[in-house]
Amino acid sequence: MRVQLNARNRAYEFEAAPGEKILFAGLRARVDLPYECGTGTCGTCKARLVEGRIDDGWPEAPGRKYLKGAGEFLMCQCAAAGDLTAEVASFVYAVDSGACPVADAAGVVADARALTHDVMALDIELDRPVDFDAGQFMAVTMPGVPGCRGYSMVNFARRTRRLEFVLKKKPGGGVSGWLFGGSQDGRGGAKVELFGPLGKATFHPSLGKHLLCIAGGSGIAGMMAILARACEERYFAQYRGDVFFGVRTMADAFYLAELAAFRREFSGQLAITVALSDEDVPERAARDHPLLRFERGLVHEVAKKAMQGRFQNVRAYLAGPPPAVDAAIRFLLLEAKLTADNIRYDKFS
Amino acid sequence: MGKRFVCRVGDVPANAMKECEAEGGLKLLVANAGGEFFAYQAVCPHQDVPLCEGLYDGAMLTCHMHLWQWDIRSGAPVGLAETALERYALSVDGESIYVESKSALEMGGLFAGASEPTLAKLAALAKREEYEQGATIYSVGDAAEDFFVLDSGRVEFRIGRDERTSPAGFMLRKGEVFGWAALLDSHPRRIARARCEERSTVLRIDGRQTLQALEADPASGYLVMKRLSALIARYLAEPGAK
Repeated sequence: MRVQLNARNRAYEFEAAPGEKILFAGLRARVDLPYECGTGTCGTCKARLVEGRIDDGWPEAPGRKYLKGAGEFLMCQCAAAGDLTAEVASFVYAVDSGACPVADAAGVVADARALTHDVMALDIELDRPVDFDAGQFMAVTMPGVPGCRGYSMVNFARRTRRLEFVLKKKPGGGVSGWLFGGSQDGRGGAKVELFGPLGKATFHPSLGKHLLCIAGGSGIAGMMAILARACEERYFAQYRGDVFFGVRTMADAFYLAELAAFRREFSGQLAITVALSDEDVPERAARDHPLLRFERGLVHEVAKKAMQGRFQNVRAYLAGPPPAVDAAIRFLLLEAKLTADNIRYDKFS
Repeated sequence: MGKRFVCRVGDVPANAMKECEAEGGLKLLVANAGGEFFAYQAVCPHQDVPLCEGLYDGAMLTCHMHLWQWDIRSGAPVGLAETALERYALSVDGESIYVESKSALEMGGLFAGASEPTLAKLAALAKREEYEQGATIYSVGDAAEDFFVLDSGRVEFRIGRDERTSPAGFMLRKGEVFGWAALLDSHPRRIARARCEERSTVLRIDGRQTLQALEADPASGYLVMKRLSALIARYLAEPGAK
């Protein structure tokens, strides 16, 4: 199917496969269509149908609350039902030639293991190698679960066939039911479909700024890739890094050994703080994890206090539950006076 | 549009903002910046998110969705924002705040901040024209003598000739400037067709006389040319742009 996409500055034409989401077809053709979550929640990819018909894969998508006029639809959820013309009310350019190409991939679950009582690590083996930037995510479709979900890569490697993800169990969540049902380490060999890499909250070592990472819960996933990339390039030999990882209690924390390993090499320049919102810091925490700091409090408040007076030349990466991300944005803009282009996050939840 | 009552001074505390409905149903964002009041469109020009849900510190307004930002005193875009906010002239009479809409000329990013005398000269040059849906404002090859400022409606562009034309963008915001070849020495002819896709009102302004007015006021002229080059760069960011 032929899709003509009229943007404020020009028009694009690209081919969409039957059933393929218009957003993904455009990104595959290197048209940098507006999107953020890619999974039906944020409303950023809204477009207006000018001519032709669409198939809406998820008419109940929460992101539809941002649509108003008749004919508006979410490009991440709708496929072309024939040739069509659509319009987006923003400037659209070609995808930056340095960006990693996006494509479909098929994967199998190679390993699934519990990190805490409600968080799992999921390793997926792909049918072909992919490239991605640190901080990016994949739209992942699980068998029998409608729609797709965005999950950030935990590992960082070039031309890799193995991707690591973190999944949080959510009450009533379709993916949780699939993954957390059955035996804890089951699901090995299950087939999943992926599309990506997606997301603009990426880190490149050419950045030349101090790093501030504020993550709540499973939001730490993308930060792990950013830290892996930064350590690999010895970024912290030159720039400071401050990582704040918020969880409810010590029992909810994970990746502490991996975080400590990042710090071991750059102890003078990299600080990693675990913020516990729902309990006082147990005595054993510091004893068991001598390279990490522990504080009681909400992660953005702990970060704000610890970073006081150190916001010069800082790039912030944020991830986690939307209220935590919003609170962090608020203090970074209004109090720390960071400019908007130095606050990076992809709103998906 | 005449003066319309919008709210009372006490409704908007110092360095806070509030969404208000002016007489006649127009929704506006009223911001208090250190005791001075400003009125803007109520929703973000990016995705129509209510701006009153955003962040405001008394100087900078930020939409919480994608962090578009504006200077509260001018409505000029800052950082990631791609366009200015539609600003309304505001007056305070005793305890009451009234608004009036600004002319398209002042609103557009191109002339905001130019001196009052120069703006007055440009306003005197501007001819208001109304076009029916489907009407063509100019065609490929026409002499590029005037440029245009959109007041209302929607104008679409096509490049190419006869059957072989392709869409090349569209204008839909009050204050947007098009046909700017008239402000450039090296582009005497139109390279696109401009057609009204809705009933539209535009200001038609003579390019040569505008350049003369700007030469007579180099400070304003520098500001306008700086904005014009940024505007052109936005379209020429890649091949195939208008």
